[in-house]
Amino acid sequence: MAKKGLQTSDKDIINLAKIVGEKAILYKQPDLVAYDCDGFTIHKHLPKCVVFPNSTEEVAEIVKYCDANQLPFLARGAGTGLSGGAIPLNGEVIISLVKMKRLISVDLENRRAVVEPGFVNLKLTNSIANKGYYYAPDPSSQYACTIGGNVAENAGGAHCLKYGVTTNHILGLEVVMPNGEIVEISTNGVADTPGYDLLGLLTGSEGTLGIVTKITVRILKNPEAKQTVLAYFDKVADGSQAVSDIISSGIVPAALEMMDKTAIEGVEAAAFPVGHPKDIEALLLIEVDGISAGIEEQINQILEVCKKRNVREVKVAGSEEERGRWWANRKTGFGAMGAISPDYLVQDGVIPRSKLPEVLARINQISEESGLRISNIFHAGDGNLHPLVLFDARIPGETEKALEAGSACLQVCADVGGTITGEHGVGIEKREEMRFVFTDREILAQTDIREVFNPKNLLNAGKLFPSPGRCAEVKKELKEALKTS
Amino acid sequence: MITSDLKEELRTVVPIERIKDNQEIENSFGNSGKIIVAPATEEEISEVLKYANAHGKKISVIAGGTKRGFGGVNETEDILLSLSNYTGIVEHTVGDMTLTVKAGTSFKEIQDYLAGYNQKISLDPSWSEAATIGGVIAANDSGPKRLGYGSARDVVIGLRVVYPDGTVIRSGGKVVKNVAGYDMNKLFIGSMGTIGVISEVTVKLRPVPKYESLVLLTFPDGDLLEIKSFVVNFLDSVMEPITLEILNPSIAEKLGRQKRYTLAISFEDVESSVHYQEEFVKRIKPANADIIVVEKDNASEFWEKFYHLSPRGTEPGHDTEATVKVGVVNLDVLKIIQKAEQLSDAYNLRIEAHGGLGHGLCQVHLYGASEDVEGAIKELRIYATSLGGYATIKHLPLVLRQKISVWGERPSYFFLFEGIKKKIDPNKILNPNRFIGGI
Repeated sequence: MAKKGLQTSDKDIINLAKIVGEKAILYKQPDLVAYDCDGFTIHKHLPKCVVFPNSTEEVAEIVKYCDANQLPFLARGAGTGLSGGAIPLNGEVIISLVKMKRLISVDLENRRAVVEPGFVNLKLTNSIANKGYYYAPDPSSQYACTIGGNVAENAGGAHCLKYGVTTNHILGLEVVMPNGEIVEISTNGVADTPGYDLLGLLTGSEGTLGIVTKITVRILKNPEAKQTVLAYFDKVADGSQAVSDIISSGIVPAALEMMDKTAIEGVEAAAFPVGHPKDIEALLLIEVDGISAGIEEQINQILEVCKKRNVREVKVAGSEEERGRWWANRKTGFGAMGAISPDYLVQDGVIPRSKLPEVLARINQISEESGLRISNIFHAGDGNLHPLVLFDARIPGETEKALEAGSACLQVCADVGGTITGEHGVGIEKREEMRFVFTDREILAQTDIREVFNPKNLLNAGKLFPSPGRCAEVKKELKEALKTS
Repeated sequence: MITSDLKEELRTVVPIERIKDNQEIENSFGNSGKIIVAPATEEEISEVLKYANAHGKKISVIAGGTKRGFGGVNETEDILLSLSNYTGIVEHTVGDMTLTVKAGTSFKEIQDYLAGYNQKISLDPSWSEAATIGGVIAANDSGPKRLGYGSARDVVIGLRVVYPDGTVIRSGGKVVKNVAGYDMNKLFIGSMGTIGVISEVTVKLRPVPKYESLVLLTFPDGDLLEIKSFVVNFLDSVMEPITLEILNPSIAEKLGRQKRYTLAISFEDVESSVHYQEEFVKRIKPANADIIVVEKDNASEFWEKFYHLSPRGTEPGHDTEATVKVGVVNLDVLKIIQKAEQLSDAYNLRIEAHGGLGHGLCQVHLYGASEDVEGAIKELRIYATSLGGYATIKHLPLVLRQKISVWGERPSYFFLFEGIKKKIDPNKILNPNRFIGGI
């Protein structure tokens, strides 16, 4: 943070410092470097400055200043986003919400809690665990990522197969609009308030429609029991078939995760190995939770399905400690790739579950053609793939090759009727890939919504949507078409 | 323009057999149209909208007609666009548990079809044999099982929507997890047909539960504090109720129970889990509460009856009939139900009310003289608002809707609603004045 007295003549920095205080602004180049990217590290850009407001009112003041002075700005949480949503492409004023990290209230009887956006995801569960409650969305980065960021990205996680993603758990929001106006939508958690579903629209809008300053979330009671199964398969096809069989048998598992051979090699070489055999093609991590009386029946059914699909070995976690180790191994899976490759790129496509064998085969083909290894760690139950493209950025041209391979994987997902992102967002990374799934007219329908909320496009500009050229043309064409009709 | 000219012009955009005069003699609910057009394809829907948009014609959208009394202050528009011909299943991928269906398909027809695959859409709207999937989504209808399975926003994964300019917009997709672009599905769910005509709906499915039962807990003393203390205790347990619905005495009686406050608690899971939870309720219930457990088909029959409680709005009877949806913080549902009882006495009305103690939504049905219904609704709204909630009118004759606001006060962020409407439907051709604040 800045020493006493600002060492700058930049009037914007001086004025912003008046709002948040001199100690709550960063503006010197060495301090700004840490904010030149988020979890998507391929693209970097320095912000103009970083401010650390401590209240909704301060956020509103900052936004009003930016709006009045045509300064681009964006909000940032923990910076764990994987698609570049918090990268200051236009030299933005970054509004860091890390100081706004209070747990404002918990109402167990009505199953709701109100948090500030900088509140860390896992901390919420930890704060209510002693009463037997938890917050369901559990992205792998939950120990660090903030709930504000989760709202922006509509974050998922391993357990959203049964419990849904962030949007299914947001009951209310306080939002600072891009002109600085403070808007409160169902902040007391009342459902279905009259009007268009702004909560639904704001959640997952990747920080382009407003800045969330207070979040009312649904909290859940811990399930009475959970059981976790680990199954090793010699063939990927058998593993994928087992996924389909489990789902179609009428079981709704809490989580159903898959890792392929390369991924297993990575996690076993990293910090949380559990001794998975190295010569299997796929493993499934399956969790069932709910009323204890019903769990055993479902576990037996899962074991049967796995056996029918030629499982090599299948076991049920014998203790909470063992279950914890299995999950730590899985949840640190992305980072684990660092143990077997200097760099890796995480992708995030979604496919209809039934296309799993076909898509995995095609990803394999992309890997062979590009000469880059691609490992797969994913939420198999909901068809959310995370191909991890392994590469070495020091080799000229390999970063580009990795990006191309990642994009090719998304094309495959789109081709089979899937989509280009299930939980990481579009950000900068997948702007062009939006065209894999949307027509220009459909993209225009979305930017039209942005114009309602963020008409000057000063807030987080350049994210989410492909370059505007063609959209503008469509608009023109449409106008002309209407004239002639 | 006179009606016959409009008809002539419509003939140039859709086949003649899709168009007919509206023969309806009297309709006390409004939301009608001079000419009925019932397109059979999405292209035809698009052509009608394009025509209306270019020629300043207004459209009211309908399918099953169960929500005729829901929103709107106009008796008739130029065109009544009926989706009742636009029906059928487009794609059902059994293994993926997803279904795409045309908007005019009746909800029950879909559920019956899915039952053959042991699957279902986990929504429980009223009058499912008449209500269409498009209408359920556009009006965001839900029932008591929302507690266990969520509402339309948790179920819909993709839509095709015909915009007023005739273009077709796809939102979402066919996969269960999707964050590509804005979550535009949410915009259309509950939008009352004011920003586009939903033509196709893709939903994620659930397995039909292996076993179900319904525990009916009757509280003879009518002591709401006692009910609350039971509910708080129950909700703090690890039980997983699918419904936790409080029924006021009149509804309980109508459903064949004693005329007492009754809790309807559903369990749906494997059989052992269901019985385990029934036992738990028996163990913690207050000593004086009567309990009966209704198993399997009998439980679904109870709910079937329940889904036909609300006034449907096609045959006006002698009394004025109204339904008010009240949203409050979960446990405040008890206060609303109690208030409904008081209003019943104060205004000499028959009031049937129920509400979900795990999701905070109540339905209050009022029957009686028009001025009494009006007074009671107003008082109920004031009370709900004082609790931080709202009251919207889901069913009421047109004349009363013209007197009492259907949606209540505009929220401070109304400018966003207005902005969205203006962007998508600048000529206000779709369901004009049907939604909040005259949108």
